[in-house]
Amino acid sequence: METIYKPQRPADKLKIKMHELTFAKIDQTVLDTLKPPSRNYWLIIAILFLGILFGAACWGYQIFKGVGVAGMNNPVAWGTYLINFVFWVGIAHSGTLISAILHLLRAGWRNPIARAAETMTVFAVCIAGLFPFIHLGRVWLVFYMLPIPNQRNLWPNFQSPLMFDVVAISTYLTVSVLFWYTGMLPDLAVVRDRATGIRKKIFTVISLGWTGAHEQWRHYTRGYLFFAALATPLVISVHSVVSWDFALGVVPGWHTTIFAPYFVAGAIHSGLAMVLTLMIPLRKLFHYEKIITIAVLESVAKTIIFTGLIVGFAYGTEFFMAWYSQNPLEMAIFQYRPTGDYALGFWIMVICNTMIPLLYFFKRIRTSIPWLFGIAIFVNVGMWYERFVIIISSVSRDFIPHAWGLYSPTFIEFGIMLGAFCIFFFLFLLFVKHLPSVSMTEMKEALDQGASHGN
Amino acid sequence: MDRRTFLKIAGTGSLSIAAGCTSEAEKTLFSLVQAPDDMVTGKAAWYASTCRECPAGCGILAKNREGRIIKIEGNPLHPINKGKLCIRGQSALQRIYHPDRIKTPLLKDKDSWRPLSFSKAIQLLKEKTLAASKKGPNRIRMLTEVVGESLLSLFSKSLHKWQSAGPLVFEPYAYESLKRANKEVFGLEGLVSYNMEDADLLISCGADFLETWLSPVEYARKFKVMHALKSGQKNLFFHVSPYQSLTGANADLWMSCHPGGETAIVLGLIKEALRDGKGQHLPESVRLSLARAVAAYTSTRIAGLSGIRTEHYKTLVYRLMDSRKPLILGSGSGSADANALQTNIAANLLNLILDPDLTLLDFANRHRVETAASRSQVLNFFQALEKDSVDLLLINNSNPVFAFPPENRLKDALQNGSVFVVSFSNFMDETSRLADLIFPMGLPLETWDEYEGKSGIGSTLQPAMGRLNETPNIGDVFLESAFEIDLSENNFKTYLFAHFMRKGIIGDEKGWVQTVRQGGTFSPTASDRPDRSVPDSAADLLHSISKPLDKELVFTAAPSIRFFDGRGANLPWLCEIPDPLTKIAWQTPLLMHPKTLASHKLNHGDVANIRSKWGSVEAPVYEYEGLHPNVMVMSIGQGHGSYGRYAENVGLNPVQLLSPKPEPLSGGPRFAVHPVSIHNTGLSMAMAHTDGSRIQHGRKIALSVSPDALKHGKPHKKHGLTMHDFPFTLPLPEGYDPKRDFYPPHDHDTYRWGMVVDLDKCIGCAACTAACYAENNLGVVGLKQMIEGREMAWLRVERYHDPVRMEKIMFLPMLCQHCDNAPCESVCPVYAPHHSKEGLNNQIYNRCIGTRFCSQNCPYKVRRFNWFDSQWPAPLHLQLNPDVTVRSKGVMEKCSFCVQRIKQAHGIAKNEKRMILDGEVVPACVQTCPTGVFTFGNLMDKTSRARQMVEDPRRYQVMGYLNTKPAVIYLKKVVQDI
Repeated sequence: METIYKPQRPADKLKIKMHELTFAKIDQTVLDTLKPPSRNYWLIIAILFLGILFGAACWGYQIFKGVGVAGMNNPVAWGTYLINFVFWVGIAHSGTLISAILHLLRAGWRNPIARAAETMTVFAVCIAGLFPFIHLGRVWLVFYMLPIPNQRNLWPNFQSPLMFDVVAISTYLTVSVLFWYTGMLPDLAVVRDRATGIRKKIFTVISLGWTGAHEQWRHYTRGYLFFAALATPLVISVHSVVSWDFALGVVPGWHTTIFAPYFVAGAIHSGLAMVLTLMIPLRKLFHYEKIITIAVLESVAKTIIFTGLIVGFAYGTEFFMAWYSQNPLEMAIFQYRPTGDYALGFWIMVICNTMIPLLYFFKRIRTSIPWLFGIAIFVNVGMWYERFVIIISSVSRDFIPHAWGLYSPTFIEFGIMLGAFCIFFFLFLLFVKHLPSVSMTEMKEALDQGASHGN
Repeated sequence: MDRRTFLKIAGTGSLSIAAGCTSEAEKTLFSLVQAPDDMVTGKAAWYASTCRECPAGCGILAKNREGRIIKIEGNPLHPINKGKLCIRGQSALQRIYHPDRIKTPLLKDKDSWRPLSFSKAIQLLKEKTLAASKKGPNRIRMLTEVVGESLLSLFSKSLHKWQSAGPLVFEPYAYESLKRANKEVFGLEGLVSYNMEDADLLISCGADFLETWLSPVEYARKFKVMHALKSGQKNLFFHVSPYQSLTGANADLWMSCHPGGETAIVLGLIKEALRDGKGQHLPESVRLSLARAVAAYTSTRIAGLSGIRTEHYKTLVYRLMDSRKPLILGSGSGSADANALQTNIAANLLNLILDPDLTLLDFANRHRVETAASRSQVLNFFQALEKDSVDLLLINNSNPVFAFPPENRLKDALQNGSVFVVSFSNFMDETSRLADLIFPMGLPLETWDEYEGKSGIGSTLQPAMGRLNETPNIGDVFLESAFEIDLSENNFKTYLFAHFMRKGIIGDEKGWVQTVRQGGTFSPTASDRPDRSVPDSAADLLHSISKPLDKELVFTAAPSIRFFDGRGANLPWLCEIPDPLTKIAWQTPLLMHPKTLASHKLNHGDVANIRSKWGSVEAPVYEYEGLHPNVMVMSIGQGHGSYGRYAENVGLNPVQLLSPKPEPLSGGPRFAVHPVSIHNTGLSMAMAHTDGSRIQHGRKIALSVSPDALKHGKPHKKHGLTMHDFPFTLPLPEGYDPKRDFYPPHDHDTYRWGMVVDLDKCIGCAACTAACYAENNLGVVGLKQMIEGREMAWLRVERYHDPVRMEKIMFLPMLCQHCDNAPCESVCPVYAPHHSKEGLNNQIYNRCIGTRFCSQNCPYKVRRFNWFDSQWPAPLHLQLNPDVTVRSKGVMEKCSFCVQRIKQAHGIAKNEKRMILDGEVVPACVQTCPTGVFTFGNLMDKTSRARQMVEDPRRYQVMGYLNTKPAVIYLKKVVQDI
């Protein structure tokens, strides 16, 4: 099949760049990434694995000694474990946003990054799902949360937002894994076709007998579309549900209706920043410059401006509502956040999440790789602090002044946090060298049609 | 390996791993083949006894379950404490089970200790006494704590037998100036007791009667009777002192005066009283000499001398002249200043002028601590050891080395090679460490004894449990070593019996049994005012008054409600429960006025070095407004060099700064020292604050009301949904309002437990907290975890300052509110917090997985999480209440309204086929509160006391506007604006 370049919209630089690509080139670029990795790669993998072991050891120590090895106390009974939980759930959001919502919206620029973003989603959800376990006082009894029929008719409490979480997160994980795997099937077959030896066997199994027959393509594109449609509400619902962990509590600074949209916007904000954080090195290392073009990254940056503005608006709304309600407790907590013990965290949050991303308004900045990358890192940090400020500051100064208290994380918590980041990068690095990190199928479609499947 | 073998191995392997992995340690249950008659498994036996944690001598009941004491409660029959107990009394339990308790006699062997058997130790004692008494008279000396009459007489007899003078009674707080003042004015060198409850005005010149002074539980109770709200009015209590203390914090007006300035005020009041024509009954000569002594004390001069505000003084005069039955108390236990004696004399004289019959003073029922020798006598005693070539020194359960300033060189006196020192003590304290033989004896809860806290009250002690070790009764030791008595026939118990017979307290064996059963014979002797005229010399000392220290910086060591003189410092509960005023646990901060802090460029939490002529100490400074700016206060009790794991190197000892010279006039110790220098070390220290903020930030937490507002105030007309206009909502179906409630009301059948907390009665003493620790097996977390904010108290007494007048303080006991709309219940994913049919918010420990969401969502922050497994080093674990689960790590816990007691009442009621009666269920905090703050009962029962108190116009619910419908209903404190 010959590649025919028909510029539909002349201004679309994305496609102009694409005409340099051919199907073969796409396949070659992507398959090149699956070549046997270098010694340095394994060295990094080994270091990350050590980091995981370290985190696991910290957790083991915590299980053995008690959650007291972390810095939580009364009144701040939730610490970095839940901060990290919300943080990783947030990260997990952009993958689905990019692969599902943008797919439905026919945003062609999502194709080169959709696979990596989805992978990021899957891994981030897994890691997010770990944190509630780490957080528990008696993790060995966590099965009490499952609705297992038992003699004493003890049932979980479906009124509890934590039960909502169990349902939401597990649904999200299931759907995103299936969506990810479904999307990958044709690519797995491509890899299978070129592979030899044990690799061939493995890919034969996991490509589920994909032959590229017309009927398979028909089912595949339909199926993918339905998945996208199914995943779209989840993007909204999962983080809304996570926000209810807080919004359904009575704590001042938590108990507000803005939390669901505010959290969703925040999640997408952080997820897009993480996409940039991952894509920029990936693009460099795997020579994806022609596939993940500057224009793609620019589009992500533009979206970050948008989500950053929503997040900034939400921050403002919270303050406005606190004043407008004239509730002394709400007013106190919103006075405390920018001026109190955690003021540094608050200002990191405001500046990193709402001020710094505005630099993307400048074309020169959003087309410069170092700037793109640097600002994305700031947003990642800022979004971590957003969760810190929300979770810690509110309870540290809630209703009863006599019970106020401060929290700071301990070595064990940092160890577990380090472990979590190590798992994430460990899995992601394994992924990029062993599975196609860019969707060859979708790239080829885009090459032809400038949009996504199903047209 | 074939498939079947593999499956077998895998199956058994995983099963055995699963079975082996358990968070529970292995436990063994033993049942007694032959149990003692009074021991029924699961049923408590109560033994009446007497508390010996301080000389007050409160009656107690020791709860014995399966052979060991698990709780101490006040003896309701006892006239001193009427069933109530303070924080120290509750903690006395830990002394028996203390892990550092010495189990066998220890003989010093160069630098180490050699354990001896008790028989060998007694043999050694015999040899030593024999050798010493052979050498000549007065070769044996004895120092003892305040003990009962019978034991004291036994000591005297024994010493007499050994040809030596009787024992000297040592108490760090011996009220020398008060005794001397009583002698000067009433001709009685003793400590009269006060019928405070009958007074209509109380003025204290530093007497800390809610903390340590004479008999704190008794006076706390009497004070709240006197200070109760009666027909919309309250009697007044004024406190004049340089340091507020907990007592001053409970005053209607605390007047900060210069150290030593109280005297001028009392003299001024005498002048006013005489001018008012009072005191006509006094002999002319006394009146004239008195008038001369007070002539110079005009109100302006008083203001200058004492430093109190003139309008405050005028109020004082006006109120005093207006009152019918005023009572004036002198200086406190740690009478700190040079004028303490004059203050006490003046206070006595003022009482005499205003109340000719002295009806408020009880001369018959005097405090037993009056038998204590003065500080100067004790000092002479030690100084004479070497001079009089004493061979043997016996010290009974006292720690003078800790109590005396190091400059008194008691160490040298004890280490003087020629004297063999025997310390009868259960702990390796500073004095015992210097002894040659440490002889542990049975503790008050383990032995027969008798101690009348007030004369005229026979109060017995009996073994309330079997022995954990072989420690004998000290009486038996003396009987055996001095009189060679065969203990199998005659022991100290028979001696006591004979003593009681001799005194006519009992007539026969039956009387003895009855006495022991009820803890004593309580027929207080009728008050008989000694019919002595006031000596002319009474006012003489009032002419020589030291000038109050209005400029110099003064350092004061104050007695502590928790540690008393330091004897309580080794008990974990006392260390763990924060000080009522500073809310700091485990540490000894230096209290400084904000002005003084600023002038020394210090901040709260900085470590300052305070140096006096006699010593120095580095302490964290604590910004505190309830002080005269020139005064710095540290509480006495901590900073032990040796006293077991909970006391050693914990906190600081302020005594090391004090002057070694006793007060020349009264012979009492000086608890204040000046001049002192203070400088910043540049270091700072994390303090174990249990409070997050000192003020309420305008929230509806601890509320007060003035008597006027109470009388004329109308009920809130319009209700709304905000903090200050939300309607009072009972946690009953009638509190259900479809407009506000999403869920239907709970259907409670028959019972809905609730509690009414009368803030007007709360003095902040934290006895309730200690009772809760004891009853509910609360863990002690220690200093480091306290700093982290991980205390386990289910019931805390919150202390709030008035943001405008920081010296005005309110206390609020905060415990689980057992809400009807409990925010904790809905958020738990596994239903660990569970709303019971009786309205209790039960925490199901076994179900809890430790998400801590309940604690996050609890507006009252009363839930406590087990961050670690609690430690009860053996044998402390023997104290644990078998009716209450011991929680493991990772589990949330909180106040249960003592559900075990409710369940027990259910059992009894069911057996008797009736309902639970009102007042039948008494949670531990309710039981012990000296002032009766708490009322517990069934809110469904319209006739219950708790329910009727709910109708009080002072009622409110903390943070009620959240619509939590708390079942703990507070009554506002009635605050009179003076």
